[in-house]
Amino acid sequence: MHPGISQVVVASAAQTCDSVLPVLSVLRDLFPQGGLQRGSVVAVPGGGLLSLAIVAGASAAGAWCAVVGQPELGVRAAVGVGVDPGRMLLVGAPGERWPQVTAALLDGCELVLICPPAQPAPHVKRHVEGTLQRAGGVLVVAGDWAGAQARLWVATQQWAGMSQGHGRLRGRRVHVLATGRGAAARPAQRWLWLPGPDGGVTPADPGIGGLAAPTQDDTGPAVAVIAG
Amino acid sequence: MSVADRRPPRVLVIWCPDWPVVAAGEGVAAGAGVAVGTGGGPGAAVGTGGGPGVAVGTGGGPGANRTMPLAVLAAGRVVACSESAREDGVRRGQRVREAQYHCPDLVAVPRDEGQEARVFEQVLAVVEEFCPRVEVPRPGLCALGVRGPARYFGGEDALAGKLAAALAEHGFACRIGIADGLFAGELAARAGHSGIVVPPGGTPRFLAAQPVTALESAEMADLLTRLGLRTLGEFAALPAASAANRFGAAGAVAHRLARGLEPRPLATRVPPAALSVALEFDPPVPQAEPVIFAAKGLAEQMHAGLRDRGLACVRVEVAVTGSDGRERARLWRHDGLLSALAVAERVRWQLDGWHVGRPGGATRATGDATGATGDATGATGDATGEAGDATGEAGDAAGEAGDITGGVGGITMLRLVPDQLVRDHGRQLGLWGEDQAEDRVARAAIRVQAMLGHEAVTHPVISGGRSPAEQVTLVPFGDARPPRFPPDRPWPGSIPVPAPATVYPDPLPARVTDASGAPATVTGRACVSAAPARLTAGTGPPLPIIAWAGPWPVTEWWWEPEKARRRARFQMITDDENAWLVTLEDGRWFVEASYD
Repeated sequence: MHPGISQVVVASAAQTCDSVLPVLSVLRDLFPQGGLQRGSVVAVPGGGLLSLAIVAGASAAGAWCAVVGQPELGVRAAVGVGVDPGRMLLVGAPGERWPQVTAALLDGCELVLICPPAQPAPHVKRHVEGTLQRAGGVLVVAGDWAGAQARLWVATQQWAGMSQGHGRLRGRRVHVLATGRGAAARPAQRWLWLPGPDGGVTPADPGIGGLAAPTQDDTGPAVAVIAG
Repeated sequence: MSVADRRPPRVLVIWCPDWPVVAAGEGVAAGAGVAVGTGGGPGAAVGTGGGPGVAVGTGGGPGANRTMPLAVLAAGRVVACSESAREDGVRRGQRVREAQYHCPDLVAVPRDEGQEARVFEQVLAVVEEFCPRVEVPRPGLCALGVRGPARYFGGEDALAGKLAAALAEHGFACRIGIADGLFAGELAARAGHSGIVVPPGGTPRFLAAQPVTALESAEMADLLTRLGLRTLGEFAALPAASAANRFGAAGAVAHRLARGLEPRPLATRVPPAALSVALEFDPPVPQAEPVIFAAKGLAEQMHAGLRDRGLACVRVEVAVTGSDGRERARLWRHDGLLSALAVAERVRWQLDGWHVGRPGGATRATGDATGATGDATGATGDATGEAGDATGEAGDAAGEAGDITGGVGGITMLRLVPDQLVRDHGRQLGLWGEDQAEDRVARAAIRVQAMLGHEAVTHPVISGGRSPAEQVTLVPFGDARPPRFPPDRPWPGSIPVPAPATVYPDPLPARVTDASGAPATVTGRACVSAAPARLTAGTGPPLPIIAWAGPWPVTEWWWEPEKARRRARFQMITDDENAWLVTLEDGRWFVEASYD
């Protein structure tokens, strides 16, 4: 191998340790740096479980994660994909003060997941981005954010495990696409189970895949429930 | 007599019986007020709710909470209950089930120590009219040195009488006791009908007659009883060295208490000025947020100073100076146990309490604004939300200045003074060696709480339950609260994994129809009337259903008619490839969650 090439490899590996927050191993191919670049904005126009899966890797590795403006976030689902609830802060209704709240949280938490109420004004965005770069965290936006360094969305999805009147939801096969700016401009794609049958994220076959058909004795919760 | 065995100073103790219940009553009343008052701002609506809460304190009147049996719970056990619940046989330490067996219409509320502290601030405001230095061992109990005030007010009995009258006038039922030292003072407050005054020098005799259960340590009391020592007098008759040998450090402390001495000999050194820390604000700050923010750093500085000298403080004095030059101070129990964050929280309680308690004696006496306690900063957060940023800040300034410092401008100085230094017996490592990252997060969370209110920043705790909304308890940051239901039980009938990614706090009304367009229903035997064909979630368009499963019937709380719920759940996939958790209850359809 040419000596120059090995040097480049070493340099980028060192950078991975310092300036990149880890993501789940199944999502690593979607990010050119192999993780979330500190100081960057990741836009997830569809929001939902994909945005939670993006923060799960770093959360599991010890980062604090704050969620702003999503009172209907399913914490159980977040735990399922790997987010640690013990290092999670929720600010359900920041109202008009979301930029100040986001900036304050960016000072303490490495990951902040926001759902901006509307298309934010340019000066508000600059303020938030400035704080982001100073604090060195990662802002994941469940929505669109012009100028985001990376953008991920679900192109197609298909639920499995249920048909007319029987079975239960087992998992969702999704085709996730990613693009970005600069180094991330090259589009990447991945087929995933999001969520899989245990609530986690696993790779899926690109072809028509299906989970095993639900067995007769496992069609959901017990039929008659008497409890409190 | 050595310096260490000097008699403790005379102490007056004010004890408010069942304080958790009184504070919870204020909370309940405030909640009712919000529900009723629709016209005015939040402050006004809450103010109207204060009335019934205060009636609790008067004791005599038929207040709402006197007739409503109320119990406050912590970790599934009763920690305090109202008079009417006690009459029915509810006792401290009972399990919820047992208490409900004695009193079926018992209203059980979880304990909220923050609320207790905030409401107690009103009692302290009254007491401070008599003596500026008041110590708060815990909400519901406060103590003051009796020497100076007793001279001024014409004797100990007169002081106790005047205090009791002033507190009764403000609607608080309290008992007052005077004795040597805090421990004996508290027992004196609990003795008799409304507390007693133990004459000077009579404390050992007073203590000697008390049962060993007065020691508050159940283990120690149990051990002593089994050894045949039934009163503190019998225990105090043992030689001190033998007590220490036999029972260890805890025994030595208990023995000192039983003899009427301070639990730990005080380090009789004057605290060096370097240990107290202060921060000046120039120009004066009108809002609470920067002060709370600064308090954390100051507390860290104070702890570092103490740690370097191997000391811990029994109490910490938080003194706030207003721009009118008046200093208001409050003593908080510390015992070397509080983290910097916890000290900052005491500062917040203190400022919050003033926000509530200061607007003039007359209005407070009628119980106005009692309910507003927790949300001093929350209200201003709302104001800013409406008015936009710049004007919001100004509004903050005006509103808070008027409230926190009683209409005299901003805060110019915050001072933390460690009080009563004792040698630290190597406790500090685990308690103060906090993770740096967690500190940073806590600071950020406190800042947001200062902006939006205490309840606005929450921390999810996984709990048990069947519906996705039940399975998570949101605990305000900084509070320690157990999950609503224990998560480690089987919970048959809970919805299966994978869990939905979107859980609506208020389920969306929905419409489910069959192929003919008629509403789908479920029979009493849990059979669906026809295959559901279309789902309308909230205000969305009707979506064709391509797959569905259910109904999964759930019957909860069937033994309690008021709480009983019968529901049937479905999972549905619509043709836009979204999956939904849909519920049918009382003939109406709701979308509980979406799996997207």
